Amino acid sequence: MAAPLLEVEDLRVHFETEDGLVKAVDGISYTVDRGETLGIVGESGSGKSVSSLTVMGLTRARNARISGTVRFGGKELLGASDEDMRKVRGDDIAMIFQDPLSSLHPFYKVGNQIVEAIQSHRDVSKAQAYDRAVEMLGLVGIPEPRRRADSYPHEFSGGMRQRAMIAMALANDPKLLIADEPTTALDVTVQAQILELIERLQREFDTAVVVITHDLGVVAEMADEIAVMYAGRIVEQGPADTIFNAPEHPYTWGLLSSIPRMDAPRGDELVPIPGRPPSLIHLPGGCSFHPRCPFVRDAHRRVEPRLDPVDGNSRHKVACLLDSGTRKRLWEELQAGVKPGDARRDVIGIGRPDADQPSQDAGLDAPRR
Amino acid sequence: MAAYIVRRLIWVFFLLFVVTLITFIVFNVLPAADPALLRAGRQPSPELVESIREQFGLDDPLIVQFFRYIGDILPFVGGDGFNFGFSYQSNQEVLPQILDRLPATIFLTTGAVILWLSIGIPIGMVSAVKTGSWLDRLTMGIALIAISAPVYFLGLVALFLFDDSIGRFPLLPGSGAYQDATTFFGKAAALIMPWCVLSAAFAAIYARFLRGNLIDTMQEDYIRTARAKGLSERRVIFRHGVRSAITPIVTLLGLDIGILLGGAILTETVFNIQGIGRFAYEAIVRFDLPVIQGTVLFGAFFIVIMSLIVDILYAFIDPRIRY
Amino acid sequence: MRRSFQWSLIACALLALTLGVAACGGDDGGGDEPGTTQGTPAEGKQGGRLVSLWAGDVDHIDPGITYSDLGQQITRATQKTLYRPKVDDATVVEPDLAESDPEISEDGCRVTVKLKDGVRFSPPVDREVTSRDVKYAIERGFFNSVNSGYAGAYFGTLPGAKVGAEPGTKIPGIQTPDDLTVVFNMEPAEGEDRCPGGVLAGALVMPLSAPVPPEYAREFDAGNISTYGQNQVSTGPYMVENNESGEAIGYQAGRRIHLVRNPNWDETLDTRPAYLDEIDIQQGNDDATVMSRKILEGESMINGDQSPPPPILKQALTRQKEQLALVPSGGGRWVAMNTTIEPFDDVNVRKAVVAGFDREAMRLTRGGEVIGRIPTHFIPPGLLGFEEAGGMEGFGLDFMSAPGGDMELAAEYFQKAGYDNGKYEGTEELLMVGENEGVDARAAEVAAQQFEKLGFRVRLRQVTGDAMYTKYCNVPAAKVAICPNVGWLKDFADPQTFLDPTFNGDNIIPTNNSNWAQLDVPELNRQMNEAKLLTDTDERAEAWAEIDRRITELAPAVMWIWDNQANIRSENVVGVIDEDNGHWSFAHTSLG
Repeated sequence: MAAPLLEVEDLRVHFETEDGLVKAVDGISYTVDRGETLGIVGESGSGKSVSSLTVMGLTRARNARISGTVRFGGKELLGASDEDMRKVRGDDIAMIFQDPLSSLHPFYKVGNQIVEAIQSHRDVSKAQAYDRAVEMLGLVGIPEPRRRADSYPHEFSGGMRQRAMIAMALANDPKLLIADEPTTALDVTVQAQILELIERLQREFDTAVVVITHDLGVVAEMADEIAVMYAGRIVEQGPADTIFNAPEHPYTWGLLSSIPRMDAPRGDELVPIPGRPPSLIHLPGGCSFHPRCPFVRDAHRRVEPRLDPVDGNSRHKVACLLDSGTRKRLWEELQAGVKPGDARRDVIGIGRPDADQPSQDAGLDAPRR
Repeated sequence: MAAYIVRRLIWVFFLLFVVTLITFIVFNVLPAADPALLRAGRQPSPELVESIREQFGLDDPLIVQFFRYIGDILPFVGGDGFNFGFSYQSNQEVLPQILDRLPATIFLTTGAVILWLSIGIPIGMVSAVKTGSWLDRLTMGIALIAISAPVYFLGLVALFLFDDSIGRFPLLPGSGAYQDATTFFGKAAALIMPWCVLSAAFAAIYARFLRGNLIDTMQEDYIRTARAKGLSERRVIFRHGVRSAITPIVTLLGLDIGILLGGAILTETVFNIQGIGRFAYEAIVRFDLPVIQGTVLFGAFFIVIMSLIVDILYAFIDPRIRY
Repeated sequence: MRRSFQWSLIACALLALTLGVAACGGDDGGGDEPGTTQGTPAEGKQGGRLVSLWAGDVDHIDPGITYSDLGQQITRATQKTLYRPKVDDATVVEPDLAESDPEISEDGCRVTVKLKDGVRFSPPVDREVTSRDVKYAIERGFFNSVNSGYAGAYFGTLPGAKVGAEPGTKIPGIQTPDDLTVVFNMEPAEGEDRCPGGVLAGALVMPLSAPVPPEYAREFDAGNISTYGQNQVSTGPYMVENNESGEAIGYQAGRRIHLVRNPNWDETLDTRPAYLDEIDIQQGNDDATVMSRKILEGESMINGDQSPPPPILKQALTRQKEQLALVPSGGGRWVAMNTTIEPFDDVNVRKAVVAGFDREAMRLTRGGEVIGRIPTHFIPPGLLGFEEAGGMEGFGLDFMSAPGGDMELAAEYFQKAGYDNGKYEGTEELLMVGENEGVDARAAEVAAQQFEKLGFRVRLRQVTGDAMYTKYCNVPAAKVAICPNVGWLKDFADPQTFLDPTFNGDNIIPTNNSNWAQLDVPELNRQMNEAKLLTDTDERAEAWAEIDRRITELAPAVMWIWDNQANIRSENVVGVIDEDNGHWSFAHTSLG
């Protein structure tokens, strides 16, 4: 198998602030192959955007402490010179952002903004670049591309703007496209079109794609691999099918059950995950998710889970202190419609433990290693 | 756009009318000296005061006086128009005196504008890009001092230091030199100190303002996009950052120019430059209403017109604005 | 035919010069003041350009309208008035355009003046001056396009003279029997048998008497506002620079007045030496300190309308004494108490105030000792009648004798007024209106403190100088109790011009009143009105000195200074002061 296009190993991005050390990204690793789509899913504050921006070299704050490895096409990106990174950005790796209206400069015409992107990486004349820009606009499905290139961003509709951003990102044939919440700011109907467009272009140009989103539904169709992030770490990672069909992390279960589904019976309650994401300065001890986890055990407050592969599927990794068998049974119950509290009682025994109560659940946890 | 301009011009006339009205009311209502008595001199007989009142039309009811004044100014309304009356003080026509002093004020303003933009804009940019560095702290500290020092004080200090007749380090033409100079370059040399003094506070204000604006602008999403496109940092800062950050400065600049064209009173006084500002000040002290009216009208006109120009310019700068 | 008052003075002066006896009235000006150049006008070199630094502008450039000492400084250089005070003795008057003394009839109703032959107007008029030019000059003072401030006051008794007349109105009372003779024919007022010919003759030193060519000036005087000033012609050694059509391009209002030599001036017909080639008056020098330093440290410069500020004066007294010239201005300042408002209607209260007032503190606000003398009566030095009124010593009144204020004496007078504990006991607030800028503001503040020291409660309102005069102090209806910084300057060296407008009850008018104390003692008024009609110098001096005494005894005001005018010049300027006017004389000053 060819080497992965993008290899991220133990990436940490911490910010030194007056209030303390913000551990925005706290040791994540993933790979992306050519032509492959990785979906990174998580709530706001999970570190999903920061990790991608750091890959691009766009985390520029003075108080940022970055460590780990980011290898792109075999080349180490962290610690590369500014000029080297500049060459990579917009050429080998491109990124599109959430709000295309604020992400495009309001004073310059769209065509010219694409030309700019082209001319900073290719030695071509303005006319040639402009032609390419028009071509790209056509490629992303914008009608009358030459006329449109002569317009300003505020003269486009939301969906068209995002298409234009995509055109701009792909103008230099990047090997990797990072899409940070590409559909969040768009109407539902337009969302589908954009996702479809990204898929199509990916197939055409064999581009690797990383889609960052808080919405599992967005990556349901597109992604080959999915990584679920929580509080700066990946808590579950694996092929998309596995994640949707046999997820083994309580957080992932929560995400899945909070997606409204068209095919669910009316009157079915959405089950949100209670609580809020933790402060990245004062992380809860042990498993970061434990304050919100319906299945928390006493020990989970003290011991940090590791991201380990599941038995029987080395590509599926989960960071949870419950053992895999327990988790599978819990998932079955939830799938059957049992409420989390009941499921817990069924599988684990009594209700949630108190801080004082001695642990009664020996043997139900994955061995600590 | 044309309709917009026409509407604005109508508004200009209306504003000038209101300004004239307010000046007239203020002058006639607030406790002030009686111009006829001032003109009459010491111990005048009642007949003399009456004769003077008649001469200047002061014995007519206020409304008549006001509308006569308006009528005299406007062309096509009986008479030749553009008659701004006669100074109570010197008996000379007001308009030629104002026009005579206008070039000095324009010269002073133009030079100062160029100077403060040349200093303030680069400093603002550098400070914004290197926020928190020693350079940033130093320039912003100096800026604070420049803003705080009153122009008159700064002017006197400059004179006592550099005036070539009375200064400690006689280097530059000083107070009154503008009058004496006959050539363009002579006049320009005489304006060096006034330009510096006048620009100091403005340069500081513009630097701070641009710095703040640019810092905010650089947080915008489109800057992130620009970097993500792989543009050089220079290009990102100038073509994307500064280009946006500088647009509010256009508004600021327009208004500042408008105000200064009405007369930089303090600078003109301390350096004895016979511009409109000084003229207005002298007229106020002497209760010379026709001159006060004339200078106020000119001042208001400049401000309003500059405001209009700035708004129109904005439409060219920011494509989102359409009239 | 009786000689009129000034002429006997001239005789006196000539006698005094030859016999070395100072026999006549009139102080010869602070001969012991530092840094003056008194005595015979000094000699200097011919030629050169003198620069005078002013803050503001002349009140009027038109010689017929100007009514200020600065305007006169200019007209004394550019015009030949009928008569002119000697530059070094204001009480002596010599003929300028006139050929000899005026002839005044016994009853004072007829004044005849003969003109010199051969005086010419400057370009573009160029011709010889005739008596009709003098007649027109005075007539135009009455035109409603000109509105001279004093024409009515001094020439209003002439038949046919009416203020506010249409341009071109002639005055039959002025006759011109031939080209070189002017006759003023007055008629006595109702019930009188004498006319004020003496005063009219005295007024012939004013710029209004400078000749104006009617055929040239008519068109300028014809409009609503006369523009003759901007197109004036001259008869004196200098003229306002003009172009061929007569436009006075040398006058740029508010900026500059440029005087150049009058090519048609004949020095044999004039006593002025006129050394300088040009005089450049530069305006806009607002900052008095900057102006003073430029003059003192520079070349060929003098001051004009601004005095050096007290700190510069102090410095100049020690370092540049020769460049300083202090001259009695012929005027003074006082704190006027409104005698129509309680408690100032009580003469003992007023005397108490005068006794207790620290007049030296007031004087300090303007610069201290050098800036003038603390008065002992009202008529200032330099005027006729000063000596008769006791000169510097005064009348020896007890409440005028302590310049620093005598609180015990004040207490005595308060007790006489019924305030037993020696201070004023009333609780009402008395309105005092003073100025809000510069040394005048300080004077107002010091005055307020003085009154409070004496037990009064004062509400001090400070406004601009013009407002103080025209809206408050000069308006009886404004009921201002105290005006702390009013002053008066003579018109010419006669004491009537100093005491009559300011203390004669008949002269209290509803607006622009100069009798700030509103003193109205019928007997005193009558005394003054009679004294006005005297023509003999000595009699006038005595009569007005007596009036001065009576006024001083009534204590209507605290007279706190007889001003000196402080003038400065650059080192190389051989400056000559015009005693009458207190400023440098352009026509006598030269560059060394």
